[in-house]
Amino acid sequence: MATLAGAPVGRERRIFSFTWLWNALAHGYVWAWLGVFALPFLATLAYSLRTPDGVWTLSAYQYVFGSFKENLLLSVQTTIITIILNLLISIPAAYAIVRAPIPGKSFLLSALNLSLYTPAAVMGVSLVIAYAFLFGIPQTMTGLIAAYVVGTFPLMLVPIIVALRDLPLMFEEAARTLGATRMQSFFRIELPLLGPGISAGILLTFVIVFNEFLVTLFIAGPGTTTAALRVYNLTRTAGFQPSTAALATTMQLVSFVVVLLFFRFFGSRYLKGTYLI
Amino acid sequence: MKNPDAYPMTHAPADVALEYQVAEEPVRQSFASPRMRGFMLLAPAVTVAVLFSLIPLAYLFQVSLTNDSSFFFTAEYTVNNYLEVANRYRSAILETVYLAGMSSILDLVFGYPFAYILIRKIRYREFVRTMMTFPLFGPLYLAFGLFYILLPNGPLGGLFAGLGINVTKYLFSQGAVLFSMAVFTFPFMVMNIGAALSNVDPMLEEAARTLGAKPWQTFVRVLFPLSWSGIIAGFLMCFGWNLGVFAQPQLLGSPKEQSVISLQMFLKGLVQFNYGLAAALGVVLMVMAFLVTWVSLRFSRGALGA
Amino acid sequence: MTRVQLLDVSKRFGQTLAVDHVNADIADGEFVTLLGPSGCGKTTTLRMVAGLIDPTAGQIQFDGQAVNAVPSHRRNIGLAFQSHALFPHLSVARNIAFGLEVKRTPKVDVQRRVAEMLDMVELSEYGARMPAQLSGGQQQRVALARMLATDPRVLLFDEPLSALDRNLRDSLKYSILDLQRRTKKTAIYVTHDQSEAFAISDRIFVMNDGRIEQSGTQLDIYLRPRTEFVANFVGDNNAIAGEVTALVPGAPGEPSLVDVRAGRMRLRGLNPGNLRVGDKVLAFVRPENIDVLMESRESDEPNLIRGRIAQIVFEGPTVRVIVETDGVAIRATAGGLGRLTLLDQERRDVLLRLQEVTVVRDESAAAA
Repeated sequence: MATLAGAPVGRERRIFSFTWLWNALAHGYVWAWLGVFALPFLATLAYSLRTPDGVWTLSAYQYVFGSFKENLLLSVQTTIITIILNLLISIPAAYAIVRAPIPGKSFLLSALNLSLYTPAAVMGVSLVIAYAFLFGIPQTMTGLIAAYVVGTFPLMLVPIIVALRDLPLMFEEAARTLGATRMQSFFRIELPLLGPGISAGILLTFVIVFNEFLVTLFIAGPGTTTAALRVYNLTRTAGFQPSTAALATTMQLVSFVVVLLFFRFFGSRYLKGTYLI
Repeated sequence: MKNPDAYPMTHAPADVALEYQVAEEPVRQSFASPRMRGFMLLAPAVTVAVLFSLIPLAYLFQVSLTNDSSFFFTAEYTVNNYLEVANRYRSAILETVYLAGMSSILDLVFGYPFAYILIRKIRYREFVRTMMTFPLFGPLYLAFGLFYILLPNGPLGGLFAGLGINVTKYLFSQGAVLFSMAVFTFPFMVMNIGAALSNVDPMLEEAARTLGAKPWQTFVRVLFPLSWSGIIAGFLMCFGWNLGVFAQPQLLGSPKEQSVISLQMFLKGLVQFNYGLAAALGVVLMVMAFLVTWVSLRFSRGALGA
Repeated sequence: MTRVQLLDVSKRFGQTLAVDHVNADIADGEFVTLLGPSGCGKTTTLRMVAGLIDPTAGQIQFDGQAVNAVPSHRRNIGLAFQSHALFPHLSVARNIAFGLEVKRTPKVDVQRRVAEMLDMVELSEYGARMPAQLSGGQQQRVALARMLATDPRVLLFDEPLSALDRNLRDSLKYSILDLQRRTKKTAIYVTHDQSEAFAISDRIFVMNDGRIEQSGTQLDIYLRPRTEFVANFVGDNNAIAGEVTALVPGAPGEPSLVDVRAGRMRLRGLNPGNLRVGDKVLAFVRPENIDVLMESRESDEPNLIRGRIAQIVFEGPTVRVIVETDGVAIRATAGGLGRLTLLDQERRDVLLRLQEVTVVRDESAAAA
């Protein structure tokens, strides 16, 4: 950072160490924040491993695969169904938005993304009223999944749009001149090449839906308590128990492993359009 | 060395048969114009958005104009709910805006250097971004973990006590709420500013430096103006997300912080079944969030792919 | 096998007319090049032949059959792209097999055909590799094999060599010509590089502003440009503005000529056929068709011009001489050993002997 121009030879060492100090501070700053990100998780983990008497044990985790098993299974189930529906909705929509000659595309995209800008509580209240008095599907699995789909399909749509825009038209044209129909060229050439973008969409959908508790809190019924909602409910009713911490730890661990796998295979490139991570 | 590419193909066997018959299929006319096809591909997404986003929001607005639960029987239209929001929930709205604003300012102040270091100095960027996904798992776990940290005799209590910090006094305080809100949206700020900064050629900074600008002058005159769009987009995105804050005040805040709109909506709507008032609060929050997003999209020149 | 005709084909993008009433008749087995600067409509024309875009007006025929309504994948054409456009997720062999697989060709036939094709481009060992593992030239050869595998009726090339470095371009262009000659397929090749066009074409169409300015053999295009654009775009040319003073009928079997006066200069050049006495014209003469004579005398002879050397530049194989005459700078290039005698002759009065002068109407003067 110090000016190098005209610095006497004797001061070079000092300038060097000053730059070194500056870099060390910069890296230290980032690491401090990484610590802040991980700290709540580590605290939860530590709490889940310790009884109130200060004994370290794994016993809290028996609940995760005991009384919480249903909630976890429901979370996995709803997440997978949401991901599949998101794919079926978003891939054709992304293709149309990038490739089809449709007027008012940017307005259309903003309108499709409307639910992404809707605060979760507003979405929860509007859906709970609409489900109960308009659609007649209160406290159902259908309603829950519909809420997840409408709330997260833009997170699937955007990475696919980004990937599709990055994909030169040339590949489709090459396939077409080689005799492939539109369908053949899409399924054999473009879909595989969109893999990383689609995976990014799957990742984002997974991370959000798997851990969603707020919209769920509004619209879930007794039979549709997801694991994340269970964590929330337990903090309200049972106080802070190691078993609750164990469930929260498990949820975050599963999510983090999925994120790690994604970054390992695809890197972060196709998450760029979302500005989330 | 011989260039393998420079090999002319004149030595290829001359008897290669190129008369090759490919089975002919009957011509099938394409059944729709490109525009029609586009609309058909969009139909599922549009249907979902209309059914589960637009219609419920419109219905929410309608309900907000009815008395109590009268919409269910014979709707009595009234603006009483909005009057009540204006009279009794003004401080709640202000509290929400204050918390969202302060936490977003914290994000900006701490996030800008983070983004700069991340873009310019760090090679293990993927690792940092992986770690940054922890807050994204949700404010619930975040507030939860922080609660444990602040709890008397918490797992890290000994550590903080050893450092001479009494963390427990921050439990149920505005500080804890703001901190957890800021941590939740911190990655959004970093990603927005980072995207803007990565479009700024480092050569511009070097050029400013060689022209005699001091580091702070380089920042004020070069970096800051060029990353302005990212700053605005990041700030508004954090602000928009934080407007809907729910779990952090409930777990970590005092009654003052717990007056935020989302929590009040839950109490009025799902606990006291005053749907009209809950809907009116929802409409107010929605309008605020929508305005923020709208301005943000103007500045970020098409975040979210628009 | 296939004759390709373009009948009054036009393409409009919004307000711009990218292709303006293009007519072309390309014989079976002919190798034709569309040559022109970027944005001249050559690629748009090619893509209309490929069926990737629809013409706004006009008809495209293969063997007398209109193909306007036939979608790209049913036209049975081969298209080579600027970058090789190999599918990055498929191996070399699967890339070559693609066109056959989508037409549900039996597996055995596909395998045999892929082997033949790999053999033809001398990459037999590379079938299992991924495209990214090949060098630039190998990739382009695989692309050629892929486009030939389905035995297309017409070969289309959209500047296939422009992304490669110079040495590779030189060897690959002859490979392309060789493949076309052996397969006897009709080929349309788009390029902005005149040396490429001159090396491989049977016929060149020079395009500008959506129109075909001139079509003909290399010799026609180079020595008998019929428009100002062609004269300027192909090779280096001196342009001298003047006025027609007389029409000179050619000897039997020879083309007719015109006399042009440009200031004190008198020029005689080829008559493109549409000039009258008094027309404003441009006379073109190529630098290499000018002899610099170490004499200094007045001359009434046409195409013999007196001037003074203003500058001499030694360029290695040639020497460039810039001669000022009557306020106009004329560039001449001298080759051979004689070029060395010119080196110390700056500011000297000389005579220029102009050969192969061509004359075209001066459109800008006509418009003014």
